[in-house]
Amino acid sequence: MELNWTTFLLEILNFLVLLWLLKRFFYKPVQAAIVRRQAAIQQQLDDAQKMKEDAQQLQQSYEQDRAALEQIREEARAKLQRELDDERKQQEQKLAELFEEKRQQAEVVEQRQLRESQRRQEQQALEQGSRFATRLLQAGAGRELESGLLDILLDGLRKLPPEQRATVQQTLSEQHGPVEVMSAFPLSTDDRERINDTLTEIFDSEVPSHFLEDSDLMAGLRIAIGPWVVGANLRDELEAFAHLETVGPND
Amino acid sequence: MNGGELSPAVVFTIGALQLTSTTLTTLGIVAVLGVVVWLLSRRLRNQPGAIQTSAEAVFLAIEDSIRAVAPDHVKLLLPFVGTLWIFLVVANLTGLIPGLHSPTRDLSATAALAILVFLSVHWFGIRDQGLRRYLRHYVSPNPILLPFHILSEITRTVALAVRLFGNMMSLEMAALLVLLVAGFLAPIPILMLHIVEALVQAYIFGMLSLIYVAGGLQLQQLKQASQGNNEIGENRE
Repeated sequence: MELNWTTFLLEILNFLVLLWLLKRFFYKPVQAAIVRRQAAIQQQLDDAQKMKEDAQQLQQSYEQDRAALEQIREEARAKLQRELDDERKQQEQKLAELFEEKRQQAEVVEQRQLRESQRRQEQQALEQGSRFATRLLQAGAGRELESGLLDILLDGLRKLPPEQRATVQQTLSEQHGPVEVMSAFPLSTDDRERINDTLTEIFDSEVPSHFLEDSDLMAGLRIAIGPWVVGANLRDELEAFAHLETVGPND
Repeated sequence: MNGGELSPAVVFTIGALQLTSTTLTTLGIVAVLGVVVWLLSRRLRNQPGAIQTSAEAVFLAIEDSIRAVAPDHVKLLLPFVGTLWIFLVVANLTGLIPGLHSPTRDLSATAALAILVFLSVHWFGIRDQGLRRYLRHYVSPNPILLPFHILSEITRTVALAVRLFGNMMSLEMAALLVLLVAGFLAPIPILMLHIVEALVQAYIFGMLSLIYVAGGLQLQQLKQASQGNNEIGENRE
């Protein structure tokens, strides 16, 4: 164990050479590689951070757009709701008007049906009354009644208004035929003369008469001068009575 | 692992220069490491492979160790301390190769490394603080301490050299003795011990060197910091 100065000096030299070699080919290149990689990693981190910030901005923008769309949707929904409310109110109003109209129509129909029913009942009552009166008058009809009716007829003819009398005279002049006198019972000669005299008196001329019998008249007479007919008999009166039901107070 | 003689043999002489096996082995280590790092430097990529990853791991381990001791002088100390560690690991493990001796079993080699550490302490200290300020710490806090400082410098340098030399020398001698006594398979645990001891001794030598150098660098800083604290305290008073 002794110190060899040559070895001592060469060891120092070798170590310094190794120090230079390692510094030149190991420390600096490896450190540079690490720095490059760290820079690359840092660059990637920066890129990632930038991407994250961009993504956050996009997300924020998206959130704003979504909020705006949500607001627009809410406004549209509110507008639609208002329109629906207005439309509903209009429809309800129309429906109410329609309902009122239908109700009035129904009321009118009901009233009409009521009147119709009332009319039918009146008609039925009149028909029953007419049948009753017919049956009653048929039982009571006779020459005496017919004689009375003849008096009434003649009296009515005498009381004809002048203008109506003129019309009948004109009809007589144009007809050139006899006046038909229809009676329920055979007329006596006196009665026929009374009739002819009355007609002559009224129309100021000789009027030929043709006497017929119709038991359907029940009692009384009917005088037909062309289309003009005047009578005083139970059948016509009963028909007139029965005809009353068709002319109601509201018609 | 050959431990046949205590002193390395002189292989040949060039005039007054005696080239021993230690010198040649060191030359070989330097050449191999030089070729390896040269090849490595040509194949550095941003996407590292296994070799580059290993090299970067070694680099970062050395850097972290230096940063733990001298965080303000990592870049300054890394080449010297890193080279010490790398060389010592390789040199200590060279003894495992049949026919070769570990250079660190030679006191001349360990003394050379210890002298380099001794000089480095002063070199880095003077470079960092200047000659006057650096030398001032030898007479601080009292000039009486100057002999003790000098004695400390000498003894720790000698201890550095002898510790490494003694451990490696004794390790190889013990392995030789076990091999002679126990035969073929018994030295295997000694080989494992050699590996562990080689790594531990390399770490100890390098770490002590780092602490010495960092101590020379940061001693002045500690003084400045303590003076600054005193001034602050005085101002408060």
